[in-house]
Amino acid sequence: MMHHFEHAFCSYKYCLTKQNIKFSLDPIWFVLHSKLSIALDINSTCAKVAFVIISKSMNSPTPQFVPSRLSIYEPIHQIGIWGENFKRNGNPNTSTSLIVEVDNKLENESETTSHEMLAPTNNYEQEASKPIDKIQRRLAQNREAARKSRLRKKAYVQQLENSRLKLIQLEQELQRATQQGLYMGGVLEGSHIGFSGTVNSGIAAFEMEYGRWVDVQHRQICELRTALNAHISDIELRILVKSGMGHYFELFRMKSTVAKADVFYVISGVWKTSAERFFSWIGGFRPSELLKVLVPQLDPLTEQQILEVCNLKQSCQQAEDALSQGLEKLQETVSSTVAGGPVAEVSYIPQVATAMEKLEALVSFVNQADHLRQETLQQMSRILTTRQAARGLLALGEYFHRLRALSTLWVTRPPEPSLP
Amino acid sequence: MQQAIPYKSWPLPCIDATSHRARSTTTLGHNGRGKDVLNIVSENAVIVLARKGCCMSHVVRRLLLTLGVNPAVHEIDEEDEAGVLNELGTICKGTENNKMVQLPAVFIGGRLFGGLDKVMATHISGDLIPVLKDAGALWL
Repeated sequence: MMHHFEHAFCSYKYCLTKQNIKFSLDPIWFVLHSKLSIALDINSTCAKVAFVIISKSMNSPTPQFVPSRLSIYEPIHQIGIWGENFKRNGNPNTSTSLIVEVDNKLENESETTSHEMLAPTNNYEQEASKPIDKIQRRLAQNREAARKSRLRKKAYVQQLENSRLKLIQLEQELQRATQQGLYMGGVLEGSHIGFSGTVNSGIAAFEMEYGRWVDVQHRQICELRTALNAHISDIELRILVKSGMGHYFELFRMKSTVAKADVFYVISGVWKTSAERFFSWIGGFRPSELLKVLVPQLDPLTEQQILEVCNLKQSCQQAEDALSQGLEKLQETVSSTVAGGPVAEVSYIPQVATAMEKLEALVSFVNQADHLRQETLQQMSRILTTRQAARGLLALGEYFHRLRALSTLWVTRPPEPSLP
Repeated sequence: MQQAIPYKSWPLPCIDATSHRARSTTTLGHNGRGKDVLNIVSENAVIVLARKGCCMSHVVRRLLLTLGVNPAVHEIDEEDEAGVLNELGTICKGTENNKMVQLPAVFIGGRLFGGLDKVMATHISGDLIPVLKDAGALWL
């Protein structure tokens, strides 16, 4: 409705200018004009009312001017008539009551500018141009605001589109990464492809977590190194030792979770680098080997400590042997189960199903092996002083770091020269 | 592998039945009844209760053997398992054993010692051999 009035006013102004009418004749005009300019911006209903009131007072044929049904072209004609009426009936006296009425209708929405316009002056001419300009300016502002709003909307929609595309890209990347993770396992095991979604997600989640674990490990090693060189207090060192130990325990927890998803994945050490895998024992490092690496780095040790470390080495060895033998027994059991019944027969489902059940014991083996590693680390921390423990953790972390570097170097080694 | 020293039965304060019979066989066979199990537990310095064909019990046995202990092994059938565990839960033990007994379960000196976890942890910390000696399972 609003833009109709806009048009009405523009065209009216045009008409009047063309006819060179000084429309300063009637106070009503000013009131109407200023109020309506505000009304245009704010409330079309009041403007409608104002129009009806004014037109009725003119005793002019009103039917032509129907505010509710203004089309773009009508007002030009109607306002032309209206202008004629003004010419004919310029009667200030009849207008006072109307001013009041119009005022009342529009009072709520009046701005400061309107008050200035209320006082009728004799010099309407100059001030007549101001309201027109005001309307012009306001219309221009409206157009500008609308244009800006359209541009903003366009920009926002563009942003949404971009975000949507990015999301699709990320999803595809994730899909690809999961597939690759699967393929890695597939290369060595040949059994991961075709697994259900939950297994994939367990392994994918572990691989992501493990990547982060290695990064944190590296950071902790650097911190330990700096701390030891800086000769910080034992209390502070104790905190570093505790967090270092806790970090290894965190890895054991992660492994326990993924073992439930796929125990073969853990036990074959797919997630490790090739050099680490070479030393792997039931999905991780062998505790007795660990001690062999650590002890030379811990000199000097007291007599008591040497004895305790020796005992620990022996206990580790015994526990490892027990676990290894248990694992052998499991292999025998599974093997005999799978081979059970005449091998010449085609049907093998019951044997394989039974073997599956027995393989569940593998999860216990992984857990027991990690438990042994954890206990070994804790016993070492009991035997050693804080400073020695810090050095031990540093040595351990550095050792694995070098194994990983060895793996990387191995992968990038130059190809074998071709035979002559 | 060390030669296992034949062990002697140990008289216990909380269980009535005591026997001084020395046992040379290691497997006692599968007698699933609760009361009988209690007797067996009390009669042996070290005994491992396990499910049939459990590989973990094998691990425990091998570990104890390397230490010089010849543990008795009592295998429990699947159908008797619940009953046996209930009976075991009522034996007077230390205050820590409020949970259900997990198999394989190791009894030292007639008392429930724990599962494979406990045995491993105790051995690494160097406390297992003294416990075995106290129970008369190990003589050096």
